Amino acid sequence: MWRSKEGKECLRLLEVVADLLKFVNPRALLSYFRSLIGSREMRILILGLDGAGKTTILYRLQVGEVVTTIPTIGFNVEQVTYKNLRFQVWDLGGQTSIRPYWRCYYSNTDAIIYVVDSADRDRIGISKQELVSMLEEEELKSAILVVLANKQDMEGAMTVAEVHSALGLDALKTRTFQIFKTSAIKGEGLDQSMDWLANALASRK
Amino acid sequence: MTDSKYFTTTKKGEIFELKSELNSDKKEKKKEAVKKVIASMTVGKDVSALFPDVVNCMQTDNLELKKLVYLYLMNYAKSQPDMAIMAVNTFVKDCEDPNPLIRALAVRTMGCIRVDKITEYLCEPLRKCLKDEDPYVRKTAAICVAKLHDINASMVEDQGFLDQLKELLSDSNPMVVANAVASLTEINEASSSGQPLMELNASTINKLLTALNECTEWGQVFILDALSQYSPKDEREAQSICERITPRLAHANAAVVLSAVKCLMKFMELMVSDSEFVKNLSKKLAPPLVTLLSSEPEVQYVALRNINLIVQKRPDLLKHEMKVFFVKYNDPIYVKLEKLDIMIRLASEANIIQVLSELKEYATEVDVDFVRKAVRAIGRCAIKVETSAERCVSTLLDLIQTKVNYVVQEAIVVIKDIFRKYPNKYESIISTLCENLDTLDEPEARASMIWIIGEYAERIDNADELLESFLEGFHDENTQVQLQLLTAIVKLFLKRPTDTQELVQQDSDNPDLRDRGFIYWRLLSTDPGAAKEVVLAEKPLIAEETDLIEPTLLDELICHIASLASVYHKPPSAFVEGRTGLRRALPKTSGSDGESSGDNQQQAPQPTVIPNQDSLIPDLLNMDINAPPVIPQASQPAYSGGTLDLLGGGLDSLLGGGGADVGAAPAAPGVPPTATSSAGLLGDIFGIGSSSTPVYSPPKQVWLPANRGKGMEISGTFSRKNGNISMDLTLSNKAMQPISGFAIQLNKNSFGVTPAAPLNVAAPLAPNQSIDVSLSLSTNGPVQRMDPLTNLQVAIKNSVDVFYFATVMPIHIFFTEDGAMDKRVFLSTWKDIPSQNEVQFNIENINLNADGLSTTDGISNKLQSCNVFTIAKRNVEGQDMLYQSIKLTNGIWVLTELKVQPGNPTIVLSLKSRATEVAQGIFEAFDGILHS
Repeated sequence: MWRSKEGKECLRLLEVVADLLKFVNPRALLSYFRSLIGSREMRILILGLDGAGKTTILYRLQVGEVVTTIPTIGFNVEQVTYKNLRFQVWDLGGQTSIRPYWRCYYSNTDAIIYVVDSADRDRIGISKQELVSMLEEEELKSAILVVLANKQDMEGAMTVAEVHSALGLDALKTRTFQIFKTSAIKGEGLDQSMDWLANALASRK
Repeated sequence: MTDSKYFTTTKKGEIFELKSELNSDKKEKKKEAVKKVIASMTVGKDVSALFPDVVNCMQTDNLELKKLVYLYLMNYAKSQPDMAIMAVNTFVKDCEDPNPLIRALAVRTMGCIRVDKITEYLCEPLRKCLKDEDPYVRKTAAICVAKLHDINASMVEDQGFLDQLKELLSDSNPMVVANAVASLTEINEASSSGQPLMELNASTINKLLTALNECTEWGQVFILDALSQYSPKDEREAQSICERITPRLAHANAAVVLSAVKCLMKFMELMVSDSEFVKNLSKKLAPPLVTLLSSEPEVQYVALRNINLIVQKRPDLLKHEMKVFFVKYNDPIYVKLEKLDIMIRLASEANIIQVLSELKEYATEVDVDFVRKAVRAIGRCAIKVETSAERCVSTLLDLIQTKVNYVVQEAIVVIKDIFRKYPNKYESIISTLCENLDTLDEPEARASMIWIIGEYAERIDNADELLESFLEGFHDENTQVQLQLLTAIVKLFLKRPTDTQELVQQDSDNPDLRDRGFIYWRLLSTDPGAAKEVVLAEKPLIAEETDLIEPTLLDELICHIASLASVYHKPPSAFVEGRTGLRRALPKTSGSDGESSGDNQQQAPQPTVIPNQDSLIPDLLNMDINAPPVIPQASQPAYSGGTLDLLGGGLDSLLGGGGADVGAAPAAPGVPPTATSSAGLLGDIFGIGSSSTPVYSPPKQVWLPANRGKGMEISGTFSRKNGNISMDLTLSNKAMQPISGFAIQLNKNSFGVTPAAPLNVAAPLAPNQSIDVSLSLSTNGPVQRMDPLTNLQVAIKNSVDVFYFATVMPIHIFFTEDGAMDKRVFLSTWKDIPSQNEVQFNIENINLNADGLSTTDGISNKLQSCNVFTIAKRNVEGQDMLYQSIKLTNGIWVLTELKVQPGNPTIVLSLKSRATEVAQGIFEAFDGILHS
């Protein structure tokens, strides 16, 4: 029943990882950090079409491992700490039926991570439309945008430049944004993008 | 500035405040906000606007917060069906939470969210939870299956949840077993097919019995209810099950006790009634029932209603427990009345003295209803226990002396019954009764008194004066009193013609009254001697037991002990919407001596049991037992179905595609026009005597005219052969091009008619060609009540289009071959169906001289070929009466009486059934069959 597009990203060791997850208690770590620094939690949305790899990225960021995912009917929310910055990361499902509800999550958003499946040339147009209409939202006017050209590990994936032009990012004038090539499965490019995001958020204040 | 400013308020309001709090960073604040939302929700404020914000709080590790959000979801998911999808992922995650409490919570909430759109996403988590390692999760998931079934039954079946549920029946944890049972029972009752899901066999029964001892009280109730539906294969198995159930009788929970009683009552049916085991079991059943009577009044009432059924089925069970049914001064009235009822049922020679002294005391209480019932009870005791009659009468006399108005009236009503039961025994008290004439203001009491006066006119010196005093206000009297007065006066006239004048002349608008008056008038004016014989004939004795529940209904209710049905004393189908199928019945008794005592009761007083009002019953009792034997039921249909069918086929080929059925007038031209003539012709050709009666089937009618069917014309009829119903269609192509690809579908209907096979039209139908098709039908499809009852909506598809039309099925195709009722059952059933369920029709213009109808045998043969079974016949004053029974495929019984008068073309049909809706259809069927 589950359409398992994201399943492609799964690795064999995943079950072991899932078991390991139980022993990591991110909350405990968090409260430790909270005691160190008292800064506000940043609110980040991970958006993108279904099967782009949003949930995989979220858990890659949170636990640093690749976990088995199923299509997200609804949302995931996790606390992520990166370089002493605390983020509240919302990963929203990308299916057509769920996209209309993205808007419910826009308010108070500091940054958007927009994930694109670089190997999915057919739907890059739809991806662009969704991105454009989202950026028009008043509530997201000041939000920082990170575009991740994901699935670079796949054969025939579009390059960063191709994704950049396909999404029409040239048209963005005022927004703080950056595009990165990533592979969530291999963990490539994520650190760079998060570094950039952390800096951008810090310098914004 | 326009007025739009009024719509853009600057005030943010409570909802806005809550919204921002819900989106707060601080967990404590969030939780507080959700609590506020729930509080608003509970007092009825609409907080559905906060749905997305509350759902966003769902992913939390705080169990308290999670529970609150779930609570909110259950309430508002229905009002926000689209948005509810956002919660799915959280459910999926929570179903895999390491904490079993959270897993169970998630699966329970999922079941409560009745939103179609998200159910499909919940299957996978549910499947996992059904196999969860933790029993708490499994038992919660088991119930969730039933909830899901209610939303989407086909999905539950397709996903194999039912099989998983059945596997849970053998779970190691008793609570899981109990919930699986509960869930399966629920699904079973909801499913339209009525096919039991739970295949109970010796091994599952064993598992259930093991779980029974260990699970919670409500789990025990579920399991016991399921057990009660099992039919043990032999007496020994029934005994061993009973032995394992018996300890439940000691349970503190009344529901458990009653459910156990139900099981035992049912299984006892399978045992030889005087065996040692049954005796022992009977002894064990009494104490728990008695114990129930010491609980709070509401429980007492439920127990009493159930006991009422039990004592009717097995009067011996509680015969020594009379004392517990004595009324306490502080019992609520509903308990008192119910106890009184049971007291009368239990009254016997052994305890009558005690009972009577109790009743006498009750008759002096303050509550009017209770007192009335007590007085009536004394009368019933007198009738039931002959030895006590004298005491009862003297008690009643004492009560009359109290001069309390309603006591006197009630007493007079019952004394009338006593007079009928023991004629010429207590007439000495009449004078006392007459003294109280003036106090009587209720119609029933007045009517009773008038009856007494009329009946004993010769002993009451001033009978004429008394009656005259009633006559003064004749027009203001109730009909009952008027009728009684009329009869009494006629009696008086016949007994003392000298000093009675014509008192009978009164005009009335009431046809009953007028007719009775006319009859008497005619009788008196033609032959006073005959009048005397009629009016003063010896009256049949009256029944000892009244208010007995009809045996088949009683058996059904016994199967429903410990449910609302046993409290209402009505079958569930009578008060539960949409419950049509599957009536429970007691298992058949094994040995011949296993006849239940209910039957014995019926047998013993049979010569004397005659309800006072129904004139038909005494007639029935004198039914001519030696009436010509009815044609054996098996041979007739087989003969007509087999032979005539062949002939029909022959005819078809001979005439080049005529009617498919002999009884039906074929549509093609050049074929004999009427059914009877074609059948007669066939009979002649093939040398069948004219005594044979073909199965009646109405002529084909055009169901879909060609102009509506885009060139396709459909005509058809229904028939029943050898127990198979078929729809006989003639499809004619009146269009210019060939038509092919025929298919048929039937909408849900009252009798569950559904095609048993697809519509089989092999070749395309060329223009101007007709084809006859017979579609066999079954009656186990989904049931939905139609209006009229026999309406059937049909959709026919072909290469051109889909066409819809409706037709009416003749009800006789639902008459089953096993519709012959035993004479005695017929008698008691007729008696037990209330008279308002009796419907009368006139079947006009019957040609009684025609072939086959000249004798009543002919009529009954003709009807029997359509499964109307003649149970008895007799002749009353030149009129032939036929008593017949019919059983419909859905289990409804219809009893009929046909009154045939030689030379009169009108036959009077009276019919009685618990479901009077079928009456019109039955009449039409008779009309059609007899005219055919």
